[in-house]
Formats: sequence, C-alpha cells, structure tokens
Amino acid sequence: MDVLNPCGAQTRRFKPLAPRPGDLAGRSVGILDNSKPNAGALLAGVAELLAARAGAGSVRTWRKPTSAQPAECLDEIARSVEVVLTGSAD
Amino acid sequence: MAAVVLGTDEFAALARAEALGRGLPQLPLVTVPHPIGGTRPDSVRAKAALVVDEVIQALTTAPGLSIPGERGEEAETLEAPADPDRLQAWVLERGLGDGLPVLPPTPERVKALLAGARRDPDEVIAVLPPRLGEATIRTLAINAALAGARPEHLPLIIAAVEALADPAFNLAAVQTTTHPCSALLIVNGPLAARLGIASGAGALGPGPWANAVIGRAVRLALQNVGGARPGREDRATLGHPGKYTYCLAENEAASPWEPLSVERGFAPGTSTVTVCASEAPHNVNDHGSITASGIVVTLAGVAATSGNNNVYLEGEPLFVLGPEHARTVAGEGWSKADLKQALFAAARVPLSRFSAENLERFAALRPQWFQGASADAAVPIAAAWEDLMVIVAGGAGKHSAFIPTFGRTRSVTRRIGE
Repeated sequence: MDVLNPCGAQTRRFKPLAPRPGDLAGRSVGILDNSKPNAGALLAGVAELLAARAGAGSVRTWRKPTSAQPAECLDEIARSVEVVLTGSAD
Repeated sequence: MAAVVLGTDEFAALARAEALGRGLPQLPLVTVPHPIGGTRPDSVRAKAALVVDEVIQALTTAPGLSIPGERGEEAETLEAPADPDRLQAWVLERGLGDGLPVLPPTPERVKALLAGARRDPDEVIAVLPPRLGEATIRTLAINAALAGARPEHLPLIIAAVEALADPAFNLAAVQTTTHPCSALLIVNGPLAARLGIASGAGALGPGPWANAVIGRAVRLALQNVGGARPGREDRATLGHPGKYTYCLAENEAASPWEPLSVERGFAPGTSTVTVCASEAPHNVNDHGSITASGIVVTLAGVAATSGNNNVYLEGEPLFVLGPEHARTVAGEGWSKADLKQALFAAARVPLSRFSAENLERFAALRPQWFQGASADAAVPIAAAWEDLMVIVAGGAGKHSAFIPTFGRTRSVTRRIGE
C-alpha cells in the first residue's frame, strides 16, 4: 500500500564553519552563557583550562536573559573575540 | 570566529538537530555527563576538566564531518503494509506516530482531506522547528489523515499551525523544552459547533467529538514536520497526556462574558483558534463558595504554586472556569476584567515558598518582584493582570481548571478560513 510521507521537505541551507585557528595561544575567548543553571560555571571552567593548557588569552562573557530565546548579541560576539564557547542542555 | 557547543550527553540529539536546523552540520559538539544544573560547583569543574582537550581540538582543527547534500529530500511516497496491525508497527518503527493507532495516509484519503481546504496543496503555511520541515497544506493533510481527522477539520488545523509559527509563540523552545507543555487549541465562534468540537461536559476529553482528532493532527504535524520526536529533540522530562491531543471550544453559550476571540479584537461570530503552550489542567474544586471572592480564593490557591514556570518566567497562565463558577462570579456584576484583577492580586506565592537557590535565580529574571523584597512579600503569576487568560468551558459541576504555560511564550489567535 502506498502512503504519503508525513514529514515533508526540509528548508535548509548549509554553511561551512568559520576557519579554525591552528592554536589558541593568545586568542581571545568569548563565553555565551545560555543562563541555564551552572552553564556559566561549566563554560568558565573550560575557559580557565584553555588558558592553562593552551595559553588562550582574555575571556569575555555574554549572558542570554533566558535559554528559551535566541541570543541578540551574536554579531557583537563575532566582532569581539576569536573563539567562542557556548552551551545547550540542563 | 570559531565556536564550540558544550552540552550534556542527554541533550546531544537536540543539539545536533539545532545545529542542522541552523545550517551548521559541522558545528562541533562536546558533551559532558548529564546533568550540570542542580549540581555542586566542584562537580561542574570536574566535568570541565574532562572535556578541555576535546574543546581545544574542536577549536583548532578543521571539522571531520563533511557538509551533506543541500536539501534534505524525503521520499514523498512510502510503501507501507496494508494490514492494520502491521501498519501500526511500521508507523511506530519509523517514529511517525504517537503510540495510538493511526489511519493510513493513502493518496486517496489525503486527496479527500485536501478538498476540505480548497487551497494550493503546495502552499507552505510555516516552517516548523527544530527540523525546519515545511508544513505545506498537503503535509498537514497527511498528518490529519494519520490522526483520523476529517476534511472539514483541515482549515482549523491550518490556522492552528499558522498561529504556532508566529514568532511570539516561540515554537522552537516549546518543541524542545524539558517543561511539560503542549499546544492547547481553544476554538471560538460558530465553527466549533459545526465541527462538533465539545465545549461542555468533558470538553478536555475523552469523547466521541472532533476535539481528539483535531488536536492530534496538530501534534503529529509538530512531531513529524517539526521533527520534535519524544525523548530525542523533544526533551520533555515527563511530558503530559495533552501532548497526544489538547483541544476544546469555549462554552460561549454558557459564558456570562465576551469570548476570548472578542477580547482579542475579532468580531462576534468570527471563528478563531487560539494556541497556548500549556501544561496539563490543574483542577479547582470548589463546591462551597457562593461568592465571587470565595471562588477567587480557591482559584488563586491552585494557581499560586512554587514550581510553575509562570511564577518566574511570567507569560499568560489560563483559568478555565466551569460555567457554574463563572455564573457565581458574574452574578455579582463582575466583568472578566474584574475577575482577572482579583486573581492577579490574590494568586501570589510567598517568598518563603521558594528555596534560597531559586530566590537567587529568579531575582535575575524578575528583579522587580524578587530582588530586595521583604521576607513576607509574595509574587504574582504574571507580569500584569491583563496577561491572565480566562475562558469558560465545561458542563454542570463545581470544577474549574488552572493551566500554567511554558512562560516564555505568548498565545496567538488566528481566524479560521472556511
């Protein structure tokens, strides 16, 4: 029996990733905290270790007011830092 | 700017789907063992140490994954077993169902459903997250066919999906949250009776009326087209039974007040659907009160609880008044606005009902209520009385319901095209 697919087509345009720097020495690190409990703590912990283990540079943090809405500061982050850590989960 | 996403392993499927939806199939995802929320700081730091090498690798080297084909083509027609039991197993294996039996979306049945809308079947009504699937009139008819809906239901299903896709509804978050919310459909106007949508006794189910299949058709579209599969991209911790179907009509005949659609600016007699991202109904039993203020005490007592989203995210929690409670309130000359104002004043949660950790967290989200408040202060369940929603539904009896919402969402009302 033929049936019609209930999923429908997907709209998507794929983009390549930003080029990766070869190493993190002196690179400025951004943190986008999604405001979920402990997300900032995990990301800050990783950023500290990036400095200790890979010589990463200064850290700047942005915080979304709530995880339930898109961040409005993405352009500013892209202008301000070289690599970014962000998160999704509980 | 090179980015890496950190998440917990439980949320990996959702994070992958989100990255794909944003067109970034190569976005590196580094996972730590779930959970990080509600855990102690030293445990969070230990988890950071577990993944730092992986983060360095993700930020400094080219992605291993290649970019897949531009458009996710799905076969339009599938070969399914004709035997009903084997069909059901086939649907469940493919993640296309909700666990309840489905009817086959054959080309003939879908064609009959499409006749109910008299619109171009290829018209895209909305693009539904997180999968970014195209909800065309045809795709909605296919899901309606699975759900057992009828051709005359299709215009309502289309209007509901249009409403869900309004940015104010925040569908991407509603589809993927751990919170138990589902698309509640509230139907107003003469179409409700014509379609046989219950507004009276047992309106929230079950029953042999149209509520079940209409709400289910919308849910299946959200799951199949939107790609929010339970336990995968749909991260609901428990979910709730309204995620199978959640639809009722306002009992306009028994209501002493203007219907929701008229409050929203539609002319009386216009058929509309309002969508809300709603929890399950919480019952309000009051067999004793014979005054408006007495009913308000009981409604407020059910609504003002520490663990609902509205108390820290605000939004538009809904009171569904049974007709008898509504008549008691209106019998004293109270308008719907009077009731909302009284509920806003009465439905407040004392700060003593929140843990110290939550008080700190909520102070950042609702500083005007939580920051610097005295210990005997209490917080309302919405930003303003106008945000409280009130409808009348149900039959005889002394019960009403309180229905909290996801919070970061607004209800949306759309006229139903006929």
